[in-house]
Amino acid sequence: MKRLISFVLALGLLVAACGEHDSGPTTSTAPDSGAFPVTVRGTEIPALPERIVSLSATHTEVLYEIGAGPEIIATDVFSDYPAAATETEKVDAFNLSVESVAAMDPDLVILSYDPGEAMSGFAALNIPAILFAPPGPASLGDVYDEWQELGEATGHTTEALALVSQESEDIDGVVAEVPQTIRSFTYFVELDSTLFTVGPGTLLHSVFGMLGLTNVAGEDAGAYPQLSAEFLLDADPDFIFLADTVCCGQTAETVASRPGWSELSAVQNGAVIELDDSVASRWGPRISDLILRISKEVYGVG
Amino acid sequence: MTAEAPRRISVRSLLVAAVVAFGAIAAAVLIGPVGLDPGRVLLEVLDRLPLVEVESGLSPREAAIVWELRVPRAVLGALVGSTLAMAGAAYQGVFRNPLADPYLLGVAAGAGLGATLAIVTVGSGSLLVPGAAFAGALAAVAATYALGAAGGGRRTGTTLILAGVAVAAFLTAAQTFVQQRNADTIREVYAWILGRLGTTGWADVALVAPYAVISIVVILLHRRLLDVLAVGEDEARTLGVRPERVRAVVVIAATLGTAGAVAAGGLIGFVGIVVPHAVRLIAGSSYRVILPLTVFGGAAFLTIADVIARTAVSPSEIPIGVVTAFVGGPFFVVVLRSSRRDQS
Amino acid sequence: MIELRGVSVQYNGHRVVDSVDLTVGLGEWVGLIGPNGAGKSSLLRAVAGTVAFSGDVYVRGRPTSGMGRRDLARLVAVVQQSPLLPEAMHVVDYVLLGRTPHLSYLAAESDADVAITEAALWDLGIIHLADRPLGSLSGGERQRCVLARALAQDAPILLLDEPTSALDIGHRQQVMDLVADLRRTRGLVILAAMHDLTLAGQYADRLAFIQRGVIEADGPPSEVLTTETISGFAGARVTVMRGPNGEIVVVPRRR
Repeated sequence: MKRLISFVLALGLLVAACGEHDSGPTTSTAPDSGAFPVTVRGTEIPALPERIVSLSATHTEVLYEIGAGPEIIATDVFSDYPAAATETEKVDAFNLSVESVAAMDPDLVILSYDPGEAMSGFAALNIPAILFAPPGPASLGDVYDEWQELGEATGHTTEALALVSQESEDIDGVVAEVPQTIRSFTYFVELDSTLFTVGPGTLLHSVFGMLGLTNVAGEDAGAYPQLSAEFLLDADPDFIFLADTVCCGQTAETVASRPGWSELSAVQNGAVIELDDSVASRWGPRISDLILRISKEVYGVG
Repeated sequence: MTAEAPRRISVRSLLVAAVVAFGAIAAAVLIGPVGLDPGRVLLEVLDRLPLVEVESGLSPREAAIVWELRVPRAVLGALVGSTLAMAGAAYQGVFRNPLADPYLLGVAAGAGLGATLAIVTVGSGSLLVPGAAFAGALAAVAATYALGAAGGGRRTGTTLILAGVAVAAFLTAAQTFVQQRNADTIREVYAWILGRLGTTGWADVALVAPYAVISIVVILLHRRLLDVLAVGEDEARTLGVRPERVRAVVVIAATLGTAGAVAAGGLIGFVGIVVPHAVRLIAGSSYRVILPLTVFGGAAFLTIADVIARTAVSPSEIPIGVVTAFVGGPFFVVVLRSSRRDQS
Repeated sequence: MIELRGVSVQYNGHRVVDSVDLTVGLGEWVGLIGPNGAGKSSLLRAVAGTVAFSGDVYVRGRPTSGMGRRDLARLVAVVQQSPLLPEAMHVVDYVLLGRTPHLSYLAAESDADVAITEAALWDLGIIHLADRPLGSLSGGERQRCVLARALAQDAPILLLDEPTSALDIGHRQQVMDLVADLRRTRGLVILAAMHDLTLAGQYADRLAFIQRGVIEADGPPSEVLTTETISGFAGARVTVMRGPNGEIVVVPRRR
């Protein structure tokens, strides 16, 4: 373990040279109105949308990336990336009022959560609405499918396909460079300070799996199991990822000061990695950044 | 046959209660999701005593499990359980109402609002959360007292309870509103409310201990006076006691303890009702007997509930408020049946 | 021993006791008689200090308004009309509560306190009930417990509020005889609100007739218990007679 860390440090320059995924829209072309009408996820969209309301932070990111930014008139409160999203009008997606959204006269609404009668409400008003329902994609394949669906729904199919192709290339490249290790490294990714984590069936779990990492929660756990401090001390993961740095203020220091945690190898070896909550929980174009970061921290490559 | 209320407590029953309590604590240290050899665990604990040096044979991580996780958690469970049970018994005595619990005067609602505000502004990992819960609890009781005297009349037990209901209703509404406006933190807020002794260490024990000890001691000292209050406020006055003063002191002590307990463990319910009632069923209804036994009974009850919380669905944990609720429901059936038997 | 000067009690703006002057001397038994709602209970509560009043109350020459609760409780013992008797409490523990005024705030009872309690139980003839829960006693036994508690208080003044209203005739006499005996043996001063006019006339040294908060007659029973006075009791029709031993008997007369 200590040798691996030195390897990482020595490769510092090389790591920097690998570069990050360039965030920003791919070359935008004018949306293709000829493809309409089109049916996506059971909803018919009669014409090219020009007033899009996105109530899902993840899908907001994708929409901007595939060039649909100019058509977006409102986003939900948590859509904070890219910067342009913060300047649109804001809607509370959890306490959703179909009427207030309808008042904006949208011709496409994207949701990732239906509080109750949102979908039927929009249908009754003849507003095309697409629901990317929980629990969300379980693999990268599912993620790419969603991006393509968004492309079809907004007339940016070409850009969506290009995005999928670019991302999968980048990601495959990272995965290919994952070295062979004697045994698979174990990890624990914490979603909040009560030690909720991801399990089999979630996207994050499969992403870690692609990089050859093993979840200490095991393969029999549910999608979002909650672990205990005692269990973690016994399991002693090689790496600890914090996906609660923003919501709950957790850092490598706060983790090290938890009772008993100073005995964990990951804490002693400086293998506690702070992730951004949003990057870890969304499946927009920044997912390749996430995979790259994980690979860098664990293997020192990327 | 009517229940009995002997005044004197037997040394034997005290000893039995103490043994049960310490047994529960021992169980909490020996049992956990990770199987550790009991002998080695005991050696590890012995090693931590001053002037004792033994080799327990546990690895540093296993030793950390014992000394950094299990022992402080068991001690905290005992302290919180004891405090909540005593506060419940104290409220029952002062308001002469067997259904009074430590959250009667708005403590729970105030603490919940404080914690929710803190979680929503700075996040659930912050130290501000228990501090805000503590402050919220005290503020709620102060508001109840102020409201109870607002009508210009004397603050009787009934007016205080009614004021407490009003304050609790208002603060609960406020808490729900704040929670809904910040729906992304719902899971954290809810987790706090359900109660958890989870991420504790010795620091939490040190924070709670002073409030717990003061609360328990002050309430114990008032056990004879609580028995005097049992004949009603008017008669207590003719016996030379000031019911308002006794009530104020006892309520303040119980509230301090409850606020500390809630700050550390969230809103753990049923302890304050179940334990004093169980003690009454066994030992009669004189507070001079109930209170000392409740100190141990509360400690044992919550510590054992926590063992269940930690191990029943390992590696996950059940929120401890859920465990105490599962026990509380059936328990009331028992109380109901035994009291019906008494009446017939 | 007890002196009331210009004592008034108000409830909701209504004067239930209106500027009353009354004295109870050493060794006296004064009976307070009057119709329901005349102010008997309120007057007693003013003396006991459990209700707010204007005017002055003196006990043993000292004003009660300046006294601490415990000091007053050591001088005045109260037997209320419907005392709350916790069902599960043992008789001895209930009577022991009478020692409360003699204990400091957080103190426990001493052996001397227990001895005084047992003496009170003996005097009231209920020592055999000491370890019984209050809920298992009969009405008459309970009344004796309450009296025993008042005795254990060791106060020179005893206030009684309708001590016999819940009892049957046999028990009423028993209680009255007990109180009379205790007065003699312990030198108690008694101020008692009484319902039963005949008993009041037979046991009290003096009667104070109170109506609508005002004392309208104050003197020995032979003076106060007259047909005119009693017709003030919501128009009751009675004949006041003398019994075989010269005692006053108040007989209701049917129309």
